[in-house]
Amino acid sequence: MSGLLDKFLSNGEGSASRNFLVSALLWSLFGMGAGVFASMEFYNPDLVHNIPQFSMPHLRMFHVNAVTIGWLSMGYIGSMFHMVPTLCKNRLFSERLGNFTMWAWNLLMIGAFCTLLNGNTEGREYAELGAVLDVMAAIALCTVTFNVLMTVAHRRTKKLYVSLWYFLGSLFWFPLVYIIGQRTFVFLPGLNDAIIGWFYGHNILGMWFTTVGVGIMYYLIPRYTQAPLYSHGLSMLGFWGIALFYAPTGTHHILQSPVPEWLKAIAVISSIFLLVPVLTVLTNFFMTMKGKWGQGADDLPLRFAMTSALFYLMTCLQGPFQATRWINWYIHFTQWVVGHAHAALLGAFSFILTSAVYYALPRLTGREWHSQGLIRGHYWLKFIGFLIMYFSLTVAGLVQSAGWAMGIAVDQWANQLYPYWFVRAISGIMIVTGQAMFCYNAYRSLYSPRPVDVTAKTREVKV
Amino acid sequence: MNGYGYRLGAIGIISTFFIIIFSTVLMPMVLFRPDPTVTRNDYQAEAKVGDPTRGRRVYIREGCFYCHTQFTRLQDREYGPLVKAGDYVYETPHQLGTARTGPDLTNEGGKYPSEWQKAHLIQPRSVKPGSIMPSFSYLSDKDMNDLVCYLQTLGNKRTATQTAYVEAPAEYLNSTALGFALHERKHVDTNADASANAGRGLYTQNCASCHGLEARGNGPNSISLTKKPANFTRPFYKQYSDEMWYYRTSEGVPGTRMPRWELNLTEEERWYIVAYLKTLPKDVEATVDSIDQIDPIEQIRLPKLTKQQYEPHSGGSE
Ligand code: HEC
Ligand code: HEC
Repeated sequence: MSGLLDKFLSNGEGSASRNFLVSALLWSLFGMGAGVFASMEFYNPDLVHNIPQFSMPHLRMFHVNAVTIGWLSMGYIGSMFHMVPTLCKNRLFSERLGNFTMWAWNLLMIGAFCTLLNGNTEGREYAELGAVLDVMAAIALCTVTFNVLMTVAHRRTKKLYVSLWYFLGSLFWFPLVYIIGQRTFVFLPGLNDAIIGWFYGHNILGMWFTTVGVGIMYYLIPRYTQAPLYSHGLSMLGFWGIALFYAPTGTHHILQSPVPEWLKAIAVISSIFLLVPVLTVLTNFFMTMKGKWGQGADDLPLRFAMTSALFYLMTCLQGPFQATRWINWYIHFTQWVVGHAHAALLGAFSFILTSAVYYALPRLTGREWHSQGLIRGHYWLKFIGFLIMYFSLTVAGLVQSAGWAMGIAVDQWANQLYPYWFVRAISGIMIVTGQAMFCYNAYRSLYSPRPVDVTAKTREVKV
Repeated sequence: MNGYGYRLGAIGIISTFFIIIFSTVLMPMVLFRPDPTVTRNDYQAEAKVGDPTRGRRVYIREGCFYCHTQFTRLQDREYGPLVKAGDYVYETPHQLGTARTGPDLTNEGGKYPSEWQKAHLIQPRSVKPGSIMPSFSYLSDKDMNDLVCYLQTLGNKRTATQTAYVEAPAEYLNSTALGFALHERKHVDTNADASANAGRGLYTQNCASCHGLEARGNGPNSISLTKKPANFTRPFYKQYSDEMWYYRTSEGVPGTRMPRWELNLTEEERWYIVAYLKTLPKDVEATVDSIDQIDPIEQIRLPKLTKQQYEPHSGGSE
């Protein structure tokens, strides 16, 4: 009995973190695969026929949920389970609970796979999952919070490093945002539903992907460069800035709909104020990196992190720009926005998570990466693939809005986008190939029966 | 920071968060309670024919909202009047949408006959060459009928109350200096029969090859075009103002073979053509743009089409 228990709910140090990261890699393949499949259907709408599970909207639902809830969230939790104990110089409060959460989360993802591809959805963007799955996700999130909180409570260090602030903050507010945002058990009239929907839709980004992602960056960059963080004060400023300004911005997604003007004003103003935390955070990183940029040439995980920081800068300059009314009227509803979403989730946060996986897995398992060449290939495929995707979507968006501003009907103008759909599908294939190389690499390093020839890097605990 | 600082910090996080929840989540729920407007949609319009409420669920299940939006904006030219907050009171979950890969559906009801809608859902490319909308041929008959019913309720007579919502860009209107100068130079009376006659000649020479002698968009050239030339007999064009006609004729339709006639024709000639074009729209045409113009019994009765007729991949010959 206890053998079975240990197998499934292992108590081994770092096992929860490792299992989370591995599951994240698995779901990333599903999620990105669904994405590239959907993008091919844009170019060739009759690619598959009469199979509801493969129709573009169903693929899209699954794509979004698999990459956000599956790949990014699971990866984030896995990274936190590795980083929080390291920063606190102790072990994770309960590995068993962590592994339990991991199974629950995988079950949730299997549920999502079975329901979303059949269109069993709540019809709310980013909150598509049905009631049962919502409850599961909320409970799983709460157990993660509990686990991390208890770990921090039993810490053996005095100071809380910034990353911990970010992690704790995110874990405190994200379950709340999630529960409010699902609206599963409430019935709100149309526009109120939209307001809360976008409160959630934006904050799953702002108060989960951004804050945890930035926390991971704060953890990784000083370690890679072996340099102390440039300024603790700046990092705290950034943290409080994000906490203050991110949450009310949601309404900028429906700036031109008939919701109250004061709400739009709050959203636009706080969107612009977001520049403050973003620039402080990045100043901090770039100053920490000062004189060390060259290391990125050899250190591939560092290169992922640097790229992520640069894309984060790009996304966050674009965001406030397009949240202003003057720009928003022009580019809203176009593919530009899709490009922006990918810049954040794929460019900035997927890259930092990839970097974290490259950093953490060897330290968790004591096995070096199977092949540096595959990492290099992964980097370039994803980097170039992402750039192509971003620019094709952005240009497609500008073409769309130029046509609409000329008064050309959408259904006529839609045909102009074929070249961009095509290029995007190509870039999607590149990204998925890169990710597949990543997963293969992880598989080989973890499971191939290879003598451990490298001296395992154990966890170092200096900050 | 000492241990005390953390406690302060935690209190800070918690209170910041709750202030924000209060101001952006709770306050709108309390302060923002629009009353239902006359143009709101309660999905009762087509209830005799099918079940629009169920159709709405099909709409959600099939994820139409990923490509179709449901709110009109100030700057939209072709989607009818602006929506009001009260129009949405029965819309839960909201279907405002985020991307206009396909056209806005706010006022879709009555824009096309149900028969067209069904054919379009089964195989969009059979009625709209080049469309990238996915085919929903796998929907059961009941799903399809309810979905079409739902589409026909959209807009709920909003279109009927509004006439001119298609407007030329500002530089053609009297309100701007450019537009004013344009009208100063214009000496053609676009309402006179004589001008229309003059325009007819120019039309036959320049436009008939594509738009057809009867202006039904079926001139000989149209065969080779993917985007078919406009059919000016559609009642839709009744709402076109002189400026709108003039603007379209002058600047062409980007993305189609419709030329920029300002390069070849003088301003005077273009005004003559406008005078002629104005006389073309007819009252009856297969497509109607307001729900009131459709005989509800005739129109909403759902089609007897079989899937085979529209299905390039199964049955029939191509
Ligand atoms: C991949 C994105 C996509 C999805 C998903 C999609 N559509 Fe479309 N839709 C389009 C495009 C593009 C057009 C314009 C070309 C055309 O008319 O086929 C369009 C046009 C339409 C039109 C004609 C609008 C007009 O006024 O000309 C209707 C009605 C419509 N779609 C309904 C639906 C319904 C109902 C669904 C869900 C079952 C749906 N669409 C799903 C892309 C999409
Ligand atoms: C080479 C073929 C061709 C010729 C010649 C041509 N057109 Fe067109 N025209 C088109 C096409 C194609 C469209 C686009 C139809 C659409 O919008 O779907 C169009 C659209 C239009 C429209 C816009 C209709 C709308 O929906 O706003 C106007 C107005 C128009 N044409 C007027 C003219 C006039 C006037 C002439 C002659 C001076 C002319 N066209 C000659 C092909 C042609």
